[in-house]
Amino acid sequence: MESKYNRYILIAITVCCLLLIVVTTFTDQWLAPLRTAVGYLVTPIQSGVNRAGVLLYDGVADYSKLKTALRENAELRDQIAALTEENNRLTSEVFELDRLRELYDLDREYMQYEKTAARVIANDSGDWFQVFRVDKGSADGIREGNNVLAGGGLVGIVTDVGAHYATVRSIIDDSSRVSAMALQSGDTCIVGGDLTLYREGRLTLSNIQKDGDVKDGDRIVTSNISSSYLPGILIGYAKDITLDNNQLTSSGYLVPVAEFHNLREVLIITDVKETADPEVGS
Amino acid sequence: MKRTLVNVILILTAFTIQNCVFPLIPVLVSTPNLLLILTFSFAFMDGRRMGMIYGLLAGILLDLFYSGPFGFYTLFYVYVGYGNGSCTKYFYEDFVTIPLVLSIVNELAYNLYVYVFRFLIRGRLDFMYYFRELMVPETIFTVVTTLFLYRLLLYINRKLRAYESGRDTTFV
Repeated sequence: MESKYNRYILIAITVCCLLLIVVTTFTDQWLAPLRTAVGYLVTPIQSGVNRAGVLLYDGVADYSKLKTALRENAELRDQIAALTEENNRLTSEVFELDRLRELYDLDREYMQYEKTAARVIANDSGDWFQVFRVDKGSADGIREGNNVLAGGGLVGIVTDVGAHYATVRSIIDDSSRVSAMALQSGDTCIVGGDLTLYREGRLTLSNIQKDGDVKDGDRIVTSNISSSYLPGILIGYAKDITLDNNQLTSSGYLVPVAEFHNLREVLIITDVKETADPEVGS
Repeated sequence: MKRTLVNVILILTAFTIQNCVFPLIPVLVSTPNLLLILTFSFAFMDGRRMGMIYGLLAGILLDLFYSGPFGFYTLFYVYVGYGNGSCTKYFYEDFVTIPLVLSIVNELAYNLYVYVFRFLIRGRLDFMYYFRELMVPETIFTVVTTLFLYRLLLYINRKLRAYESGRDTTFV
């Protein structure tokens, strides 16, 4: 008797899950309140455990870092000298740039977006997905579709927001696709995550038109025509561009500027790109 | 009752450690799937019904945490609970071989499930790469962790059972 009941329960749960999977594949808006409610319970725990873990790990890591730091210090002194010189030169160029911008009325330059900093408190378990959670949410002005930066480059996009947390899918996730363009030539391309490549620190770069001018080392930024990424955010540098078998497009790899293996703090742009199509992540 | 409560707290703890502490340790090639170990261990000890309940809890936690189709993990974890609960008749204390075999089977099933429904479905055909780089390391880590964790869980389980039966006799 007991086992029969168990079977019924199992079947009932299976049907529920399958229905939910089908429904939420299309829309999961109605789940937001539930997720937020659970977030109130789980986020403080995650935040606390994360902080404790960081403290512990940092303590151990500090000593080993000291030696490297001393050596780095010497190297950095040399760099400072070189940079000071370069800075002087660049400062003079900035004045020139300002004048030119005024001329061309380009003051809607990209890096003037509103940003807020957040701490990474949890990562996806296992290696299949590159998704992480940060400790800021809708209460801090974060909305679904916000772009996330770290280390001067694009890291990902907010896919789910609670009151005090947000889930970010990074661009190295296997299902991530970013519409991008080469900064110099303006050729559009697609930057895609690939699980088989991310350990080598690469992403795929595809759909470059055959006659497009993208060379190794070109800066790749988010494109103007992307539906969910703000334009002009640096993603990385092109590498090993070759012509595809179809003789119509070229593809290659992209080396991202952001470091993904040890993300702790990220910047979230609280502006959302205004488009007619609200779909996220395409 | 008390045992269930302790098990639920253990599952929550495992979930938090898995998500918040393991990613901080950069030397790890892969990480053990603690939530899976706990779910199948409890199911193996307590039978189908409780196995399904623990599986439901673990699955919902994962589903709520990640965006994507809701129910994806719940479905799998409930089956883990049910399937491993069916093996409860082979449950003898201090007999570790079966849990180890179960951990391999569960881990491979879990990874295959993720691979087929989240990767193969999008045309990622290079199965051997995923098998070599993701499934095998994670399975090894999980099996080794099971070796230690299962004994600990068994110990906690035994203590709580003793506590419960002691209290029951005073009631009856």
